[in-house]
Amino acid sequence: MRQRCPQGHRYRDRLRFLVPIGLMALVLGVQAWLATPVMAADGPTRGGTMNIIVQPEPPILQLGLNQQAPTQMVAGKIYQGLLTYDQKLNPLPSLAKSWDISPDGLTYTFHLQEGVKWHDGKPFTAKDVVFSTTKFLPEVHPRARASFAHCETITAPDDHTVVFKLKEPFPSFLYAFEVSAAPIVPAHIYEGTDFRNNPANATPIGTGPFKLQEWVKGSFIHLVRNDDYYKPGRPYLDGIYFRVIPDAASRALALESGQVDESQYNDIEPFDVASLKKAPNLEMTTAGYEFDAPVSWIEINHRVKPLDDKRFRQALMYAIDRDFIRDKIWFGLGRVATGPVNSRTRQFEPDVPKYSKDLAKARALLDDMGLKPDANGVRTHLRFLVMPYGETWQRLAEFIKVSLRQIGVDITLENTDVAGWVQKVSNWDFDLTSNFLYQYGDPALGVSRTYVSSNIRKGVMFSNTMGYSNPKVDDLFAAAAKENDPVKRQAAYSEMQRLVVEDVPVVWLLEMEFPTFVNKKFKNVITTGLGVIDSYDEVFMVKP
Amino acid sequence: MRSKTFWQAYARNKAARFGLVIMILVVVLGLFAGVLFPASPWDMVNAPFLPPLSDGALLGTDTLGRDIAAGIAYGARVSLLIGMTSTAVAVVVGVTLGALAGFFGGWVDDALMRFTELFQTIPNFVLTVVLVAIFTPSQRSIISAIAIVSWPPLARLARAEFMSLRSREFVQAAMTTGQSNMAIIFREILPNSLSPLIVSASLMVATAVLLESSLSFLGLGDPNAMSWGYMIGSARTVIRQAWWMSFFPGLAILLTVLALNLIGEGLNDALNPRLSRQGKA
Amino acid sequence: MAGLARFFGGRLIKAVAILFAIVVMNFLLVHAAPGDPATVMAGEAGAGDAQFVAQLREQFGLDRPLVVQLGTYIGHVSTGDLGFSYRQQKPVWELLVQRLPATLVLTASAFALALVLGIGLGTLAAVHAGTLRDGAITVLALLAYATPIYWIGLMLILLFSVRLGWLPAFGYETVGAGLTGIAHLADIAKHMVLPVATLGLFYMAVYARLTRASIQEVRDMDFVKTARAKGLRESTVVFRHILRNAILPVITVAGVQAGQLIGGSILIETVFAWPGIGRLAFEAVLQRDYQVLLGIFFISSVMVIVFNIVTDLIYSLIDPRIDLAS
Repeated sequence: MRQRCPQGHRYRDRLRFLVPIGLMALVLGVQAWLATPVMAADGPTRGGTMNIIVQPEPPILQLGLNQQAPTQMVAGKIYQGLLTYDQKLNPLPSLAKSWDISPDGLTYTFHLQEGVKWHDGKPFTAKDVVFSTTKFLPEVHPRARASFAHCETITAPDDHTVVFKLKEPFPSFLYAFEVSAAPIVPAHIYEGTDFRNNPANATPIGTGPFKLQEWVKGSFIHLVRNDDYYKPGRPYLDGIYFRVIPDAASRALALESGQVDESQYNDIEPFDVASLKKAPNLEMTTAGYEFDAPVSWIEINHRVKPLDDKRFRQALMYAIDRDFIRDKIWFGLGRVATGPVNSRTRQFEPDVPKYSKDLAKARALLDDMGLKPDANGVRTHLRFLVMPYGETWQRLAEFIKVSLRQIGVDITLENTDVAGWVQKVSNWDFDLTSNFLYQYGDPALGVSRTYVSSNIRKGVMFSNTMGYSNPKVDDLFAAAAKENDPVKRQAAYSEMQRLVVEDVPVVWLLEMEFPTFVNKKFKNVITTGLGVIDSYDEVFMVKP
Repeated sequence: MRSKTFWQAYARNKAARFGLVIMILVVVLGLFAGVLFPASPWDMVNAPFLPPLSDGALLGTDTLGRDIAAGIAYGARVSLLIGMTSTAVAVVVGVTLGALAGFFGGWVDDALMRFTELFQTIPNFVLTVVLVAIFTPSQRSIISAIAIVSWPPLARLARAEFMSLRSREFVQAAMTTGQSNMAIIFREILPNSLSPLIVSASLMVATAVLLESSLSFLGLGDPNAMSWGYMIGSARTVIRQAWWMSFFPGLAILLTVLALNLIGEGLNDALNPRLSRQGKA
Repeated sequence: MAGLARFFGGRLIKAVAILFAIVVMNFLLVHAAPGDPATVMAGEAGAGDAQFVAQLREQFGLDRPLVVQLGTYIGHVSTGDLGFSYRQQKPVWELLVQRLPATLVLTASAFALALVLGIGLGTLAAVHAGTLRDGAITVLALLAYATPIYWIGLMLILLFSVRLGWLPAFGYETVGAGLTGIAHLADIAKHMVLPVATLGLFYMAVYARLTRASIQEVRDMDFVKTARAKGLRESTVVFRHILRNAILPVITVAGVQAGQLIGGSILIETVFAWPGIGRLAFEAVLQRDYQVLLGIFFISSVMVIVFNIVTDLIYSLIDPRIDLAS
C-alpha cells in the first residue's frame, strides 16, 4: 500500500482534532490558499513590523553553515526546508507540497511547490534540492551529512519532483527535512564554489517569506517582506527586526515595555518568567519546542573511578532533588525527566525504574560499594565542569555541589568558557558536567547519538562523551532505527529505555521547557512544532 | 622610624584612624566567618528572595535561599586573601626588577624598562580578563593575572628610589668598602626606600580588591569561593526583584576599598611627610 | 620645529618596536588557550563530527604550524590588515570600526565631564581648604573612587530606571522607535545619561583628588607668593598661576587613563548593554575569536601610545620649559 498524503484529506484530518483545541489559526496558516479563509473580525491584515530578541547574535545567516539557535531563528525566515512539523510532530508541507513513501520504506518522493522563486528572482527547482542534499549540506552540515548518508541516490525526475532512494529502511528519514536540518540553498549561487568562503554567505538568498535588508552588527538584523513569496498575500508583516540585547535584565524590561514583541529560548531568566507572565501586553507559551524537545542531564565520565560503577551513578540519581531544581532553579519551567527520551517525543516509554530523592538509599549504595566516609565525612572527590551557558547553569552546579556533599561526595567546581568546555568534554577530560541535547523529533536522530557505543568518538562534541557502552542497548537502537513496523519499533525503543534507565549513564534532570513571550498584538506566531524557527509567513499584527 | 612617633603621625590623621577601624572589622569578619556562620555560604538555608531583616536572614537571601550575610563574611576572606597575595607577588616582582634597573643602570636598565613599558602599554583590565579567561578562573590564575598587571608602577617607583639612593654618600661608602652588590641592595638601599613602597603597596591592595571583584562580577571568579564581586554579578539580573542582593556586597567592597585608601593615605602622611600625594593611577 | 620632528621620529620608532613586541606576545598568549574557534563553533552548532572541526581548522588556517600563523599575522598587521573574523564573517577592521563610535561617544563624554567637574571641584575644594565645602567634596571624591564602577551603574539603574522610571537602563537607543533627526539624538542622549554619569563619576573622583592635592602643593611656592605680592586679583592668581602649574600631574594621569578607556569600558558596556568595543572584547574572549581579540589588543595599545604622545605635547604647550626633544 502506498502512503499518500493528498492535501485535501490531510486537511480534513487535521481539522478534526485541531478545531476543538482552538488552533484554527494553524490550519489557516499552513494551507490557507486551499481553504476558504474564515476570518474573525480582527482577521489578518497586511502591515506591521515585529521586533524579536535575538541572543546571542548569530555569527552568520547562511543556515547550512551554522545551526545555532539564533541563526535558526533568523535564517528560518529566509531559508526553507522541504517540510515542517506540527506540535504532535506530524510532517506538514513547506517547500514540498506533498510526498509519498513506498511500502518497503526505501523510496521517498517529494512533490515541490510551484512558482517558488529565490530572493534574486531565479526560479526554485528540484535541481536546487538535489544540489543541497547531495553536495552542499553533506559537505558543511554534520547533521545533514548523517541523514543523507542513508541515501543510495537522490534524483530529480522533473523540475518539481525529488526522489530519495535509501540503502535500507530508515523511518526517521521523514524528520530530516525541517529548515535547520536541511535548509535548501540556491544551486545557481553555490554550485562549483568554495561553499564556506562564498561571498554570498553574507547576503543570504533563500526562498522564505522574508529577505535580509540590513544587518548592523551588535545591534539589529532587519528582514523585509519578500514580495515574490509563492503564497499569495503572504507574509502579512512588512518586516521583522531581530534585536541584539545581551543583558538578561534589559531583555525583560524591553519586553515588558513593548520595545520588543517576542523572546524565546533562554532570553528571559527563569526567575523573571513569573512576573512577565502577569504583564498585560504579553502572552506566554511553552509550546513550539516539540521538535527540539531538549533533555538536560549531568554528564558522567565513565572512565573515571568510581563513576564506572552503576551503583555510584544510581546514588547520584537518588541524591539530587530534581523537583527542587525544577521549582527553585528553573522556577517551575520543565518536567522532571524520567529517562533518555523526552515525553513529548512519540517513542517515550513511561514504564521505567523511578528514582526520587532518597539520601538513605544513596548512602546505602555507596556503602555497598565499600566507599566509606573519612573523618570529614568525605567518601570521594570529583570535579564538576560548569557548563558556560549562563547563570542558571552556574546555579545548578552550585546546587549539585551542596547536594552531593550530603552523601559524602566532595565536588570542586571548574569554570571555563565555551571553547574550554567543548574542548574538555569532547576530549573526555572531565568527571562531571551538565549538558542538554535536542531530540530532533525522533530517537534515531537525537537520542541514540548519546548512548550507542559506536558513537564514542574522541574530540567530537555531543557524541557518547561519557563512554557508556551496553551491547544490548546498541542492538536495540540499531534494530529500531531500520524497523518499518511501528509496533515492533516501539517495542525496541521501550526495552532500550528500561535498560538505559537502569544503567544511569547520565543523571537526567529535566525535560526542559523554554518560555516564549509574544506581544498580544501579534497572532499566529507559535503554530508548529518548530515554533520560533518557523517561517512566520502567517504571522499578522492586530490593528490597535 | 621609631614606632611611637610613627603611630603619633598616623593617628593625627582622623580619616586614617577611621580606615584602620573598618579594616580591623573586615579582617575580624573574615577570620571569624566560620564561627558567625557555621553553615557554608553556599548552603540553601532559607527561602529564596527573602528581604533584609527577615527571620534568620539579617541581610536577606538570594535566588536559591543562601544567606547574604554569610556570603559577605566569607567573601571578606576571598577579597582580602586575593588582594594581599596578588599585591605581595606584584611587590616582589616589581621591586626586584625596579631595583635591578635602578641599581645597575645601563643596558640592564634599558632592557628592563622597555619590558615594563610593554606591560604598561597593554590596557590593564583587558589583559587581566584575557589572562584569567585563558588560564581558567581559579584563585591562582586570578592572583597571577592581577599581579602581572600591577607590578609595573612599583618597578618604576623602586627604580627611581634606587637610582637616587645609589648616588648618596652612604651607598658610595659601602661600595668602596667592597661590599657585595647583594649586600648593598638589601642592607643599604632597600631599607631606605621602603616608605614609598609600603604606601604604594597598601594602595595597590585596594586596587587589587576592586580588580578581583570586577573579574568575579564578569563571571571570571573562582567558582568555589564565595566572593563579593560574584554576589553582585549573580544579583545583577534580579536587580528588579531583589535590590539587597547587590546592594550589601557592593557596600562591603566600598567600605573595604575606602578603608584601604584611607590607611594608605595615613601611611603616606606618617612615612613620607613631604612626599606629594601623586595618586595611584 | 626640528625638535618636534625629532621628537615624533624617535617616538615613532619606539612605538613600532613596542607594538611589534605586543603583537607577538599577544599572539602567543591567545594561542596558549585551550580550545580554538573551531571547537567553539562545533560546540555551538549543537553537533560536530571530526570532519566538521577539521574543515573549520583548515578554513581558519589553524592547521598550520604556529610560527607560520604568527608570520602571516604579522605580515598582515604591517599592511594595516587586522585579519578576518570567521565567526562573524567580517574583516576585523570593519567590526572594530562599527563598534568604535559607540565606545568613543560614551568614553569621550564621560571623560570630558570628569575632567571639567573634577578639576572644578578639586580647585573649589583646595581654595576653600578646611571648610565644610572642602570636606564634602573630599568625601564625595573618596567614596566615588572606592566604589566598584559596575556597582554604581547598577545602583543608578535601580534608582533612575527601576524605581523612578526616568531613564532607560540599557542600550544605545530605543529599539524600533524609528526616530530621526533631533528626536533620535535626544533619544541617544537619554540613553547616555546613566553610563556617562557612572563612568564619569569614577574619573571625576580621580581628578578632583589630584587637582586638590596638586594645588595645595603649588599654592605656597615662591612664584605664587610673587604673583600675590604684585597685587594680582585672587582669581587671576588661581587660574593663571596656580592651576596652570597644578594641572600638570592631572594631565599625566588623564593621558594614561585616556589610553586605558577601552579596558574600563568592558564593565560599563556590560552593565548598560552598550554596543561598543568593550563588549566586543569580552565576547571575543568568551568565544575565542582570536582575530578580533588581537585586533582590539592592537588598537588599544596604539591608543595608549598615541595618548602618551599627545600628553607630552599638551605638557609642552602648558609648560614651555619642557623640551620635547630631550
